[in-house]
Parts: sequence; structure tokens; C-alpha cells
Amino acid sequence: MELPKYYEFCCRVKIIAGHDALEKIPGILASLRAERPMIITDKGVSGAGLINIVADAIKDSVTIMAIADDVPPDSDLRVVNRLAHVYREKGCDSLIAVGGGSVMDTAKGINIVVSEKADDLMKFSGANALKRPLKPLIAIPTTAGTGSEVTLVAVIKDHEKHLKMCFVSYFLLPDVSIVDSRMTLSLPPAITAATGMDALSHAVEAYTCLAKNPLSDAHALAAINLISENLVKVTKNPNDRNGRLAMASAATLAGIAFSNSMVGMVHTLGQSVGAVCGVPHGMCMAILLPYGLEYNVHKNGHFTAELLLPLSGAEVYAGIPKEQRAEEVIASIRRMNQDLHDVTGGRYARYFGEVVDRDGMQMIPKEMLPDVAKSALGDGSIFYNPEEMDYDDFLMVLEAAWEGKSLDTNRIKKG
Amino acid sequence: MFLPSNYEFFCRVKINSGNRALDHLPFELDTLNARKPLVITKKSATERGLTDIISDAFRDSGITIGIFDGVPSVPDVALIRELYSLYRDRGYDAVISLGGDAVADTAKVLNIAVSGEPEDLERCAGDDLMEKPLKPFIMIPTLSGSGYETSRYAFFAGRAYASHFLMPDIAVIDPRMCIAEDMMTAAASSLVALTHSVEAYVSPGKNPLTDGYTFPAIRFVMENMLNVIKNPRDKKGCLALVNAHCMAGCAFSNIEAGIAHTLGKLIGDASHVPHGICMGILLPHALELQLSGDGGHIGDLLLPLAGFDVYAETPEEQRPQKAVTVLYDLQRDLYSASGGAIARTLEGVNVQKELLQDIARKSLGHSSGGADMHNCLKILERAWEGR
Repeated sequence: MELPKYYEFCCRVKIIAGHDALEKIPGILASLRAERPMIITDKGVSGAGLINIVADAIKDSVTIMAIADDVPPDSDLRVVNRLAHVYREKGCDSLIAVGGGSVMDTAKGINIVVSEKADDLMKFSGANALKRPLKPLIAIPTTAGTGSEVTLVAVIKDHEKHLKMCFVSYFLLPDVSIVDSRMTLSLPPAITAATGMDALSHAVEAYTCLAKNPLSDAHALAAINLISENLVKVTKNPNDRNGRLAMASAATLAGIAFSNSMVGMVHTLGQSVGAVCGVPHGMCMAILLPYGLEYNVHKNGHFTAELLLPLSGAEVYAGIPKEQRAEEVIASIRRMNQDLHDVTGGRYARYFGEVVDRDGMQMIPKEMLPDVAKSALGDGSIFYNPEEMDYDDFLMVLEAAWEGKSLDTNRIKKG
Repeated sequence: MFLPSNYEFFCRVKINSGNRALDHLPFELDTLNARKPLVITKKSATERGLTDIISDAFRDSGITIGIFDGVPSVPDVALIRELYSLYRDRGYDAVISLGGDAVADTAKVLNIAVSGEPEDLERCAGDDLMEKPLKPFIMIPTLSGSGYETSRYAFFAGRAYASHFLMPDIAVIDPRMCIAEDMMTAAASSLVALTHSVEAYVSPGKNPLTDGYTFPAIRFVMENMLNVIKNPRDKKGCLALVNAHCMAGCAFSNIEAGIAHTLGKLIGDASHVPHGICMGILLPHALELQLSGDGGHIGDLLLPLAGFDVYAETPEEQRPQKAVTVLYDLQRDLYSASGGAIARTLEGVNVQKELLQDIARKSLGHSSGGADMHNCLKILERAWEGR
């Protein structure tokens, strides 16, 4: 097992997982010496009835002081300040965030404001500006993808000043994350597929990019194994509770892995496509994943090759010669994308040209790709990608991913 | 992949491992909002120049550190009283332990006292009796520990403590601190780590997050232990073993102990043989006895024990037996590499055969991974003879 010259690993979040993990919240709040929680979520989550499930699980022993279910997908400082005001007004003493990335970020922002009595959040932005524990925060993920329930980062936008504030601190980690199968049971198949592949890209990049370490590796291997055994199955059969728990666990494992190892070009380009074209993040990541592996294979093919074991099992791994395993990993991820496309009746896209909105309009016009490539140039996450990339390289990958063709290996840098 | 329908996992330890890891100490203390740490260690650490390395790490930081290097091998409550006064009077705000075993236990127990009051030593003895996080605590492990250092357990002056709050905030693993001082201590602590990790990996109470720690821990012991025993100056190997110790302690804090742990500890206490040596002797025998059932997760264990290729090439039905064989092979190799010093049998460490019955009886009150007295005795007898 690789032991890097230097690494750090930390996940201080207590993980509680199961089919009825929500019922443990009252006990958790008591151990955190809190009793008056405020629930932070969004309309999608509450509309799906998930807040009712959470409330039912805890209301006999805990009084929920406030439920804010109006966190927008593109949350900002105004939302944070408004909800912090509600928190204080209702005399809350803890936060329960139920949702995906935007909800988690908002809850972390509220927590800084109410714990530090901050009127200017900017003072706490950057790395390690927080110096003491915040109020108790319980995270309940509802997407089985982002992993933000175990990350130490929060991004809060200030739309008025056109600023993006980034907060990084171990004190931003939730105290507890509750992984409950009921929270993802109602996810539609196409979203199940996209968020699951988002988690797979986190894990695969964690294992194959430059800042990997033994602990992130082990978490990534477990995540990949769970996803390969469960994702297509659950997408086909959404009521599979054990499969749902497996996918939610995998997303958390992948979140722990990538937040301790950083990611690479799949993440960089995925973010950029998402930002420029407004496409769901998970879908971008899924489409780009095989390209990321292809592009870097001359640098990290030996790591990619190892992933054949958790992806395809011992028999396949042993039956394929060592030097062909990386190629087979890439092929099997493409097959997974194809399978997910098939079981969702085509709603899950295999390449960028195939991504359409509700009205059937193409969401990523080919003409936009240069803008996406430009946007990627400004993203620092490319730093941990094994091979270097400039504008032309980004564009080449994007164009191939638009058409769904393999990369032309002659055009890849061999630095 | 095995996934229980309910599970929990908690590990508050941040691991910083690698070249010049100690140089980040001033920064790490700052993230914990501490600025005046008290380093506690043994005389031998100073004699070997280790405390100087720590002082150097703080040289340009503007932070003044205190160093207490008088922890004896069997510390007592009077020492805690002395350290408590020192900590309070001089205004320290964090504890750094350098070295393992008694030093780590002293640091943990001192942290209970300084986070509350000395009377808490009595009140907090037992299981999960601490209600809130303690003061900042950083651990600098060496290869001269017990293998329990990062765990949620502390044993001090006849009392046992268990709480997640006893785990260090940060374990700083620096290769300059990891050189094996004494072959037998390095072997015993590494076998503790291996036993804890293996028994956690095959435990019915395991989950993917415990695997996240046990998998690399087992890999590192299997890949490096023999090399380090042959060549104690193998820097990379020593670093990997200390990594394994830390990871194993984290996993062990999240799962019930197994039978090799329990029996090894009981024999060790009764016969004054290092716990780890006893556990290492017992481990394959304990697993072998479980083979007669459905084998549980022992087949999966072959993956971390022997690596990707051996695992994949071994037919599924042969993996459990192969895993046990790999552990017997390790035992044999360690025995010959150490010139017989790392024994393979309980007879070899001069345990009286008459003692076994008594140990098996005693094991009943402990966590035994589902083994009854009859099976415990069987494991002990086989391990005594090495059959």
C-alpha cells in the first residue's frame, strides 16, 4: 500500500447509519447537550415529505423550535443572515441540516453567525479562521452523492457584493451525520444514477490523483465496491432499502475519501460545466469520469488498474492481464453509464450532447464548450490532477465527452 | 461487500504522517486554539535527542513549550498531582505526549484532571463517563508503545478509562520519532495492532468505516513488520508500522474486542509476557477455530492480508483457509527473523500449561467474540503447543 512522504487525514464526524438512524437524534442531541434544534432544508426535501419523516422520528422527545425549508439551490449571505435571525429569535441551541450541498453550506454559515455572534461573516472566511467549536450541527444527507455531510468546507455567496466566501475549518464539520435509507428512498431513478456516479467519481479520483493516502484509499475502495454492487440495481429498483443504505453509505465514504485527498480534472471540469451550463453536478461528473481516467492513464494507470477489483470483482480482475486492467476499468465505467442510461429509459445522459432539460432542449450546446474550458482554467482543483492541463487540453476532453467518443491518445500530453 | 443494516463510527483523531510532520505542530496547536503546550515523555526520549527535535519545531514560532521527561514505566497518581499543579501554575493549555504506553496513559489521565479537577480521575474511571471534550491533546507516537495509544482506552494506577474524548485530537507521526528502539517492543505493539485490526475486520460488528482503518493497518503490518524486525533502521517500514498502530487504535475504539485480544491480555497479565506477543501467538488459532463455522468474513480478510493479486487468484472457497495460513507463515517468519525471540507458542514464552484452564474460565467475563469456554480452552491449548 502506498505510504506518501506526507499526508493528513481527518474525519471527526460521528457517522450513524441505518434504516432507522433518525430515531437516534434525540439521544445525539442530549449527548451534545442540546434540546432546541432548528431544522434547515429546502423546498424539494420538504416537498418530498422527508422533513415529516425526520420530525416524526424525534418529536416525541425533542421540540423542534423552527423549520426553515426555503434554502434556495443558490443560497447566499442574505439567506444565512435571515435564518440566523430566526435561530436567535426562536431560542434554538442546535442545527439539523437536511439536504444536499446548498443546505449544508447554509447551515454551516448560520452556525458561524450564531456561534461567533458574527455580524461580518467575512472575518471568518479562509482557512482555519475559526478557533473554537461551534453550536451542535447534525447533518442528514438526502442525495447520496455530494458527501458534504463530512466535509470541512462551506461556500457562501454574497450576491450583492458579487463575492464567493470560502470557509475551511475542522470546526465546520458536522458533529454527527445521519445516514438513513429513508432519506433517499424517493429519489427518482435518473437522479439516483447521477448522484451515485458523482460519488463514484469522488472515490475514483481520490484513489487515482496525487494527494491519495492509505486512509483515503481504503475509504475509496469501500465506496467503489458498494457503488458497483448497488447503483444499477437501486436505479432499477428504487424501493430496495438495503441498496439505498449501501449507496448512501458509499457517498459518505467517498466524501470522506476525497475531502482528505483532493480530486482532479473530473471535478474541475464537472464544476465548470455545471457553473457555465447549469447542469446538475453529478451528471457532469459521471460523463467526465472515464475521460479523466483515460487522460491520466500514462501517469496513474497502475492505480486505475487496481480499481478493477472493487469494480468488477475477483474473477474478472484475476482473468485480465495486469497491463490491460486500467483499460478495462475505463470500459466498465462506460458500461455502467450505458446501463444507467438503459434502466432510466434514456433519462440519464451518456455524453454532454445528450443532456437535455425538461422541455427536451439541449443544455450543453457545443458552442459553449470554449467557455467551459476557460472557466476550468481558473479552478485550483486541477492542481492535484496527475497530468497537466491547459486550455486546449480541457477543450479536447470536453469535445470528446460531448460526442461520447474516446480520447485520441496521440493528443494527450505526456509530461 | 458486507454492510450491516445499522452501524455507527466515530474517530476524532486527525493523523498527520510523514517527513517533518512535527514542524507543523505550532500551526496545529493554533487550530486547536492552544499556545502553551506541555510535552510529557520519558527520560530516554531526551537521551535519544527526541525532545530536542520537538523544541526545534517550535524554535521560530514564538511559542514556549514545557517539557516534562520524568514519566516512569509505572506511573502513579502522585505523578498526576505533580503534573496537574505544573500545568495549572504555569498556565499550559494543551498536552503533547511523546512516546507510548505509560506516557500516553499518563497524558490521557492528566488531560482528564486538567480539563476538570483531579477528583475526576476517580469519577471518570469506567465506561463513557466523560460528558464533554477535554483540553487539546496531541500525540507523537513512537515504535516503543503498546499499540493502544490512539484508542479511547487508558489504564492508569489500577483504573481503566474508556471514552472517545480520550483519543488525541491529532497524532503526529514523524519518521524521526519512529525508529525502533527495542525489537521486542516494536514487535509486541505491532502484533497488538495486527490482532486488533484483524479481529475487527472479521467481526460481525464491522462496517465499511471500520474497514477504512483496519484495511490499511493490516496491509502495513503485513508489508513491513518482517522487514523492520530484520532491519530496525528501515525508516519507511518503521513509519508504516506506527501508521498501522494509530489506525488500529482508531478502529479498536469502535468495535468489540475479539477472542485473541481477550485471551492474549489475560495470559500476558498472568505470566508477564507482553500482551502483543501473546495475541500474535493466539491470532491464527483463534481464526482457525472460526473456520469450522461459515467462516464469516475470514475469506475477505485475505485481501488486506495478502494483497489484491493473491486474493483475486485464490478461489473463493479457499480464501478463509489461505488467510489463516498467511498468518501462520508470518508467525514462522517472525520467529526465524528474530532468532526465536518472537515466540510462536505459549510454551515458548514459558506459560505454564496448568494456567490455561484458569485463563479460559476468566475469559468468560470478557468480550470473547462469541467463543465459549470450551472453544477458548481449545484455542489456548493449540496455541500452547503450536499445532
